[in-house]
Amino acid sequence: MRQRGALRLAALLAAGIGALAWLGRSSDPAAKPLSAGPLTLGAAIAFTGNANLYGQDQRMGLAVAERWAQQSAPGGRPVRLQLEDGASDEPSAIAAFNLLIRQGVIALIGPTLSQQAFAADPIAQRQGVPVVAPSNTAQGIPEIGHFISRVSAQSSVIAPLSLDEALRRDPAIQRVAVFYAQDDAYSTAEVAIFQKALAARGLTPVTVQRTQLADNDFQTPITATLPLKPQLVVLSVQAVAGGNLIRQLRELGYRGQIVVGNGLNTPNIYPICQRWCDGILIAQAYSPELNTPVNRRFLQLFQQAHGDRPPPQITAQAFTAYQVLFEAIQRLQRKGGLTGVTLGQARANLMSELLSGTYNTPLGPIGFSPEGEVLQDRFYVAEVRMAPGGRDGRFALVRERTLTEIPGQESKP
Amino acid sequence: MIDNGLLVQMLLGALLGLSVYLPLAAGQLSLATPAFYAVGGTLAALLSTRWSALGATASGGFPVPSLLLELVLGGLLAGLLALLVGRLVLRLQGIYLAIATIALVEIVRVAILNLPFTGGAVGIFAIPQPFATAAGYLLPALALLALAGWVCQRLEGMPLGRAMAAIRDDELAARCMGIDTTGAKLTAFVLSAVLAGSTGALAAHFLNTWNARQGSFDASITTLAFVILGGSRTWLGPVVGGLLLTALPELLRPVGDVRLVLFGLVILLGPVLAPQGLITPGLLERLGRWGEGGKP
Repeated sequence: MRQRGALRLAALLAAGIGALAWLGRSSDPAAKPLSAGPLTLGAAIAFTGNANLYGQDQRMGLAVAERWAQQSAPGGRPVRLQLEDGASDEPSAIAAFNLLIRQGVIALIGPTLSQQAFAADPIAQRQGVPVVAPSNTAQGIPEIGHFISRVSAQSSVIAPLSLDEALRRDPAIQRVAVFYAQDDAYSTAEVAIFQKALAARGLTPVTVQRTQLADNDFQTPITATLPLKPQLVVLSVQAVAGGNLIRQLRELGYRGQIVVGNGLNTPNIYPICQRWCDGILIAQAYSPELNTPVNRRFLQLFQQAHGDRPPPQITAQAFTAYQVLFEAIQRLQRKGGLTGVTLGQARANLMSELLSGTYNTPLGPIGFSPEGEVLQDRFYVAEVRMAPGGRDGRFALVRERTLTEIPGQESKP
Repeated sequence: MIDNGLLVQMLLGALLGLSVYLPLAAGQLSLATPAFYAVGGTLAALLSTRWSALGATASGGFPVPSLLLELVLGGLLAGLLALLVGRLVLRLQGIYLAIATIALVEIVRVAILNLPFTGGAVGIFAIPQPFATAAGYLLPALALLALAGWVCQRLEGMPLGRAMAAIRDDELAARCMGIDTTGAKLTAFVLSAVLAGSTGALAAHFLNTWNARQGSFDASITTLAFVILGGSRTWLGPVVGGLLLTALPELLRPVGDVRLVLFGLVILLGPVLAPQGLITPGLLERLGRWGEGGKP
């Protein structure tokens, strides 16, 4: 009886799976003609999992961008945003991309992490859906295919700038200590760039300390480092770990300069390291102090929604991802590239239009290389200045750098 | 609605659920499934991206026979590892075995992270594709699941399966009756590893990328939840549990940000309302008798 029951249930399951496979077979409405109504942009961003700290910042940027778009181009082609949780793992990013593509989006923004991009972007590429990544900084993302682009400059371009600032302040620096999280993709990629930049400036680290993504107690690596008398400490870790590491370095008596990587590029570190954050140097792809019409507008809209504080870099990059797609859609609309075509053709037209344009964004003027790599030439070095109470602070612009070489090309494999 | 991509993920979940079930059918709580899954996935990712003899094309295509070869090799390598490790860890019982297998998951994860050829934390990407769409993965995943299900069903009538059931009920009594308990437990452990290794090889292609995060302690708990919710007394329990729990977070998307809260609630309420799991032997008995019109 039991065996017959098992066979019956197995047959039932097999029939159910077969029915689901048949019902779910049409995955993409690309062959259908493009409807005349508003176009949908899909965004798959991390609202859950350990990347949600970044996802929340990105959500703010996209919301501000929607308000900006409504006000900036009345009479243009309306665009609406469909947000989905891409979580922090690969299967969720794939599921979110599949869902959005099946709903007929014209282009995608996301996912939050580079590792997720390596999983989900090939799906968009195979189906011919344009992707603009707002925060993927790993090497090899635009190389996934023609439809993949990003507005987040690689760490290889940005990271060395803060080192130069530290060396300018103290040219006598000889002894450098490096800390990074060895189980984190971002951290291992960025530290390689820091080390290359150090070597190019004739500096060999006195120690390289490897930490773990989930570490919060750094007493052991710090006490191993301090007897080596470092004059400069370079950190490439995520926000929470970085805040704790800086605080513990200062508490255990380190007085020299600290240069940090992109992972600490968020105001969320202030409550963690408090007054100990003061004076750390960081290179940024965005500065709230950039005085251009679009950045002033972005700041104004952001502060209307979130109070009197400057937007983080990752928020500005998410805004930019929306902005470049929105502007490309409006240009394409005026040229007639969105009339009488199927959704699939509209997606392909949008991708060529996106790559051919230049954009005045809160990040400064940007464009794209033919592969989809962002061409950004203006970067900033900021210093954290904490308010007297040590509870809040800001990234104060100390230097603006214009790179003469094209960012995407120096770092190709 | 469930698209083919999600359906493939559900089938992979069901396969991993079965892999946790097999040692459990012999009374051994092993959480090592993600370790073997990671071994199979890493092997497939390495072979398909580095070994040109398998026939990966420049445009990212990959021959199906090579995929099948990888499934076999992934299973074999994981099985070999299980054979070596199993002799040691299966001396432990209950919670001690669980902890030892968690340690194995961690050792494999750290090893994959630090080996010079596995791409470090970024992992291996641009894994070539044997199929143009997700629908193509349905057939191998279903075939693997059908094969695993057939083996599990056959086990119930075989001496090995009966020995496993006896060990689960009372290991000491089973040994007193002359059952080779070590052999039976080791066989179940190796079968579980082979299944997880093959599943990993398939998943590596499906996910397009592979890194050390795929086989983590979190995955141990998720796969265990498949078995707890589905039921650990019949092989259909983990299959149903794996299918449902993989699909649920996606099906709950319309409720917005609280979807994972609801998901957690289901995992919490499942064992409270159905302590034996959703699929119990009693349910299968009733299903088998159904339609006989009350005949004795």
